Amino acid sequence: MEEIEGQVWADWIRERNDPKTPRTKPEALDDITVLDLSYNSYAGCYCSSMLAEFGAEVLRVEPPQGDFIRTCTPYGILYKGEGLNYLGEGRNKFHITLNLEKPDGREILKGLVAQADVLIETYRPGVMDGWRIGYEDLKKINPQLIFASITAHGQFGPMSASHMADYDNIIQARSASQYDTGEILPEGKTYDEYPWAVPTKAGPWIGWVESGTHMAVGILAALHWRELTGDGQALDVASEEAYASIEDWAAVWYQGAGVVNERFGSLNTAGWLYCFAPTKDGAVFLGGLRLEMWQAFADMVGKWDEWGAAGWKDLTPFMEKDGQLKWSALVFTETRKYTNKELVGMSVEYAKKGRLAPITPVVAPVCSPEEAMQDANWLDRGIFTPIDDPVYGKLVVAQTQYKLTETPIRTKWVCRPVGYDNGYIYLKYMGFGPQRLKALKEAEII
Amino acid sequence: MQKIVAENTWKDYSEKKHSKPLPLKGIRVLEVCTLVLGPSGPGCLSRMGAEVIKCEMPPLGDTLRGLVPFGYWFREQCTSFIRPNPNKYWLGLDLHKPEGQELFRELAAKADIIEENQRPGVMERWNVGYRQIKEINPGIIYISKTGFGQWGQYATENRPSNDGAAQAFSGYAWMSSFPGQRPLKSRLYICDSYGALMGEVAVLAALHYRNRTGKGQFIELSQSESIMRTMSWIWPYQYITGKRAMPSGNRDVSICPADTFRCVDDTFLALAAPAPEEFKGLCIAMGKPELADDPRFKDHLTRLQEENATEILRIIAEWVRIKTAEEVEGLAEKHGFTASRLYTIKDVVEDRHFRERRFVTEVDDPLLGQFLDYEFPVMMSKSSPRVSWTIRPVGFDNEYIMAHHLGKNEDEIKALYECGALGKWADVRGRRPSSDWDGKTGLIMARD
Repeated sequence: MEEIEGQVWADWIRERNDPKTPRTKPEALDDITVLDLSYNSYAGCYCSSMLAEFGAEVLRVEPPQGDFIRTCTPYGILYKGEGLNYLGEGRNKFHITLNLEKPDGREILKGLVAQADVLIETYRPGVMDGWRIGYEDLKKINPQLIFASITAHGQFGPMSASHMADYDNIIQARSASQYDTGEILPEGKTYDEYPWAVPTKAGPWIGWVESGTHMAVGILAALHWRELTGDGQALDVASEEAYASIEDWAAVWYQGAGVVNERFGSLNTAGWLYCFAPTKDGAVFLGGLRLEMWQAFADMVGKWDEWGAAGWKDLTPFMEKDGQLKWSALVFTETRKYTNKELVGMSVEYAKKGRLAPITPVVAPVCSPEEAMQDANWLDRGIFTPIDDPVYGKLVVAQTQYKLTETPIRTKWVCRPVGYDNGYIYLKYMGFGPQRLKALKEAEII
Repeated sequence: MQKIVAENTWKDYSEKKHSKPLPLKGIRVLEVCTLVLGPSGPGCLSRMGAEVIKCEMPPLGDTLRGLVPFGYWFREQCTSFIRPNPNKYWLGLDLHKPEGQELFRELAAKADIIEENQRPGVMERWNVGYRQIKEINPGIIYISKTGFGQWGQYATENRPSNDGAAQAFSGYAWMSSFPGQRPLKSRLYICDSYGALMGEVAVLAALHYRNRTGKGQFIELSQSESIMRTMSWIWPYQYITGKRAMPSGNRDVSICPADTFRCVDDTFLALAAPAPEEFKGLCIAMGKPELADDPRFKDHLTRLQEENATEILRIIAEWVRIKTAEEVEGLAEKHGFTASRLYTIKDVVEDRHFRERRFVTEVDDPLLGQFLDYEFPVMMSKSSPRVSWTIRPVGFDNEYIMAHHLGKNEDEIKALYECGALGKWADVRGRRPSSDWDGKTGLIMARD
């Protein structure tokens, strides 16, 4: 590796991007104020987290009893009174309460809106309008406002009048990717015998995360457009569309050939070599989407001659369904002879000394999250560095997932109890001192 | 139900989206990307109006061009290649050649954003790394997307990566399986698509910062770290309890009830009813209103406890087992809980709601013909993202980019082909035009 500015690239970039370096750099979005009104929606919370990580001042507006999403926690576990999902997604936000069902509460909201750049909301279409604080109302107060709605089905179209709420498992169900993910039911067997060989959703809240992250991208693009034109606007994300949109080939396959994509276990309908393979002590992922990488795999497990790898011309015969089933069986026979660690080591070694080096197949151990959290590589890169939260103490939430040289993201605190920042935020934005706050609280407005 | 004033905001949106400005108009992006993690990010920007020049190594170009489901090619083109690559300009550029590197630097001098997903250090070896480009364009926003980032043990070992590796490394696949069964890979390239999307949050935040200060920067994105960020409760749970998080199949352990159930006809249905009024509605629909007051199910936190959750899910499973999905969907709408049959890809493509919103949108492409694509799923009332055209053969827009962006004349362009800096497609499926191409259609500027 060549040196530039006296350093090789890896050292130069680490010096600038290592999250362990002091947090003295500027923040990209610290001139932006966001009102997050999301209710019972991890998508909304996640969206505002994306902005808060970059320094946006996010005012998290909850009803006086708190957001129901705080109770959505695995097995009902609370930590210091807080649900474990919300515990990481209150990060960097100021938490205030406001009763939007009362006219006086809505008047206060209008005061906040006049001072905000972005408003995020997740109520059913029509609810904000019914309260006279929909986009058409609020743009009169603040024409520069970016009004971002995340809902199950979006603000218009036949399903927008549905009363059904936006939940992650429903998003996954309506995206088609639950239907065609899962183990294959062996021929002649029933679901009663193989209750796990069914359409299978992802464990994490990926449907909600996709809609929230798409909205964060939309908000930032709308901010850019506002910088050009001075205009705010309304944004509409339907969660089911957001998650469905990332599918790469099945929709085109269906249009062209009329084929409805079905489950194919941990193989990949649209590419070879690309699968999970069983090993002596677990499973590995194998990847080699170019012919040379697949040849390198054959060579690495000592099958170069027996499998005739030198004579392979392209991947076509391996990508057909029958080819995949036949070759995966042969591959699994080989991988079962080794442990995960051995296979990973073989791939790293092959990159150095193999016949096709530096070409080598991708080999990755299938880890539990426990193993992932102990992996020295990730610990070194800071994603699991504990945060010392002023309220909740030391905690691990995933953080610093991307690293930037000028405006690194950071996690200042993980969460806040309901209404924790009422004093500061209402004083700062609305000029409400302790006496006024007390009165508003008694009137059940905050 | 209240009158939806929002309908005024969105009236005619679908019909008029092509006559509205684009939010990222004027933003220039260079991509040196292959497969899905790389190109999908610029694919979001190009849907929002950024001008994206996709640089591919001639003559084969992007590896993704060869990957199709069970050997199926869509009108002789790659099925998988369409979604990540709309509205792009196609440059066949050999960055191994000094002249190719010089061309890239000329383009980079006028670019706002560079996106690449080569292994760490490769761009620098080609003299187009961040440290070299910032010398000619200090405002550049430069994102590198890899499996493991730019530094650390795995990056140092120069390990290759891709979506499946990130599903494996992060624990994502392990958590997306049935208890006691083999870990299951998502059939989506979820870590690619999601990593790419999250990368754009950083890119656009950096753009905002540049608009304020004039300063560019380098962004380092790891596929595995991106997907770990999405795994919410799993990390604090393990830290607090000292226990390993466990997979739970289709059951959502944080929401109760929320699971997938088998219907009378062996199709499947997802259902969720955690909020008090939703749960009550479900109990009424099941003909068991008393369950809403049962001490085991009385509030959400109680219901989520393992033994209670198991019991209520068993009760619901029994009830759904003798119903059709349509029946339960109807009851859900009526009683205020949420249920949906599992959509197949056919259901998504043909769904009336998606079609009326033009999320599923008709594209009339000069090369590929008419087909349905998905829009960028953020509808923007005043500056609407959209798909205008789709994929092209390797190097299809070389002449246009050379003449329009760099002011090269015909002799200069010829010399660039001769030295190999520029190139076009190989005579290979997925790289070349379809067999009915007339040699002209779709070209912005013909070579001769």
